[in-house]
Amino acid sequence: MLRVLLVTDTDKPIGDLRQALARLGYDMLAEVATPQALPKIVESQRPDVVIIDTESPSRDTLEHLAVMNKTAPRPVLMFCSDANQQLIRAAVGAGVTAYLVEGLATARLAPILEVALARFAEEEKLRQRLAQVESELADRKVIDRAKRLLMDRRKMSEQDAYATLRKRAMDQGIKVVEVARQLVSMADLLK
Amino acid sequence: MNMLTHSAHDAADAKAPERTHLRLGFVALSDVAPLAAAKVLEFGHAHGLTLELCRQPSWSAVRDKLLSGELDAAHALYGLVYGVQLGIGGPQADMAVLMVLNRNGQAITLSNRLAQALREHGNLKRALATLERTPVFAQTFPTGTHAMWLYYWLAAQGVHPLRDIQSVVIPPPQMVDTLAQDKLDGFCAGEPWNAVAQSRGAGKTVAVTSEIWPHHPEKVLACRRDFVALYPNTTRALVRTMLEACRWLDHPKHRVDISTWLATPELIDVPRELIAPRLLGDYDGAQLSKPPLPVSFFDGGAVNYPRPSDGLWFLTQYRRWGLFSGAHDDAALASAISQTELYREAASLAGVPVPEEARADVLCDGRMWDGRDPAAFLGSGNLE
Repeated sequence: MLRVLLVTDTDKPIGDLRQALARLGYDMLAEVATPQALPKIVESQRPDVVIIDTESPSRDTLEHLAVMNKTAPRPVLMFCSDANQQLIRAAVGAGVTAYLVEGLATARLAPILEVALARFAEEEKLRQRLAQVESELADRKVIDRAKRLLMDRRKMSEQDAYATLRKRAMDQGIKVVEVARQLVSMADLLK
Repeated sequence: MNMLTHSAHDAADAKAPERTHLRLGFVALSDVAPLAAAKVLEFGHAHGLTLELCRQPSWSAVRDKLLSGELDAAHALYGLVYGVQLGIGGPQADMAVLMVLNRNGQAITLSNRLAQALREHGNLKRALATLERTPVFAQTFPTGTHAMWLYYWLAAQGVHPLRDIQSVVIPPPQMVDTLAQDKLDGFCAGEPWNAVAQSRGAGKTVAVTSEIWPHHPEKVLACRRDFVALYPNTTRALVRTMLEACRWLDHPKHRVDISTWLATPELIDVPRELIAPRLLGDYDGAQLSKPPLPVSFFDGGAVNYPRPSDGLWFLTQYRRWGLFSGAHDDAALASAISQTELYREAASLAGVPVPEEARADVLCDGRMWDGRDPAAFLGSGNLE
């Protein structure tokens, strides 16, 4: 069974990558979270594959093991001969780097990377959507508050209030939400 | 009026850069000072460049992002460029050294116990024997400068770096903790990490790298070779910008000034008091056997010329320690990496003199390194 070591020393969430790999039948070793612990673990546990975040500070430690020790896991995406720049770019973007012992059948490597990549990519997409939804929600709240201010103080209808915000945005060449933010902060100032 | 003629002269000389915004990678070290100065004082603006500094958690990340295009250029270990060019332990790509950013300024720290033993025995080999186990030394990247300084220093004292000790890589910001936890007997790294180790009482600086090779090349401005081909004007403007930043750093007061910036969380995140003294060559409290040469960034332009023979030295060491073998045209390889022509153009625009091609130094084991005859150096006094 393929022995897989996860290095988790960055705050990027790895979600259920560990469980997903375990379900696929891989032997998941106890994870490590410091570069200090890596050399001993690699020597004593002899993982076939190490999966690590691209932003991990432990990466240089692994690189050194790969260069100096023939049985240590070697960088894969970077190592295999058909690693084109596009693939490296994709992996770097997805936050995944895999290190694998030389001579391991590449056929067995593909699914690991696919899973790892898919997980990270999915999580990345989720995080981005969450951030987008949150910022949209915040924008809507500000615009609502600005509309409410205009309706209360200038006795405008909701439609007129919104039209006023929009016109000002067009005149100034900025987003409606920016106009709303200016208005709200001025109103706070005048309280 | 003087300013006017000067800028008119500039416009005629320099062709407009193809790219105006550049992302530069770096690792948290004191010798990132030229990049910090270039950014803080915006030396690039005069040449149509806006620089963005991107701190990287590891040299592997610097490498990957240079290759993926996420970074345009980087503050990099001399040996990292050669490692990638040769594909040692990673991807192979054609790389370029645009200029040398600094010389000297790295150090070797020993644990208090080992530093004490060294003081008592006056001999590293005997001091190591007092540990009664395999000593563990850390450096920063397998093909990097610190690995090569450490190996050379050990070998010069009769200690085989691959057989007599265990060598590991630890990221520089974690060296001090690892040493304090008694998991290391020593390390070789850039500043401020040796100064931090000493101030925390975790160890003693026992050698500076200028003892190993006076005025050795250290960090370079590196990029992919195709970047140079695609954006020659940009690259020239970048070298010119960095030369001006290096020149600015020659003034001691400016080194104190830049320490304040280096200390910020975005750059190194270590107190200024631990950065400034060693940038000025003050190694107070260190247990040194020779007076240190301070880190140099410019020295009238002597620092920055990307002399191909400097690169050849690293190839001799990779061969010595079995990282690289076989028949290759080392000289052609080094000439292709060093962007000497582009450097000369940028230096001339910046009014910086280019030093002589030939260079010879005596290293810490008494051997003469003459860049014109690397084979003689490789053949002499091998520890095998």
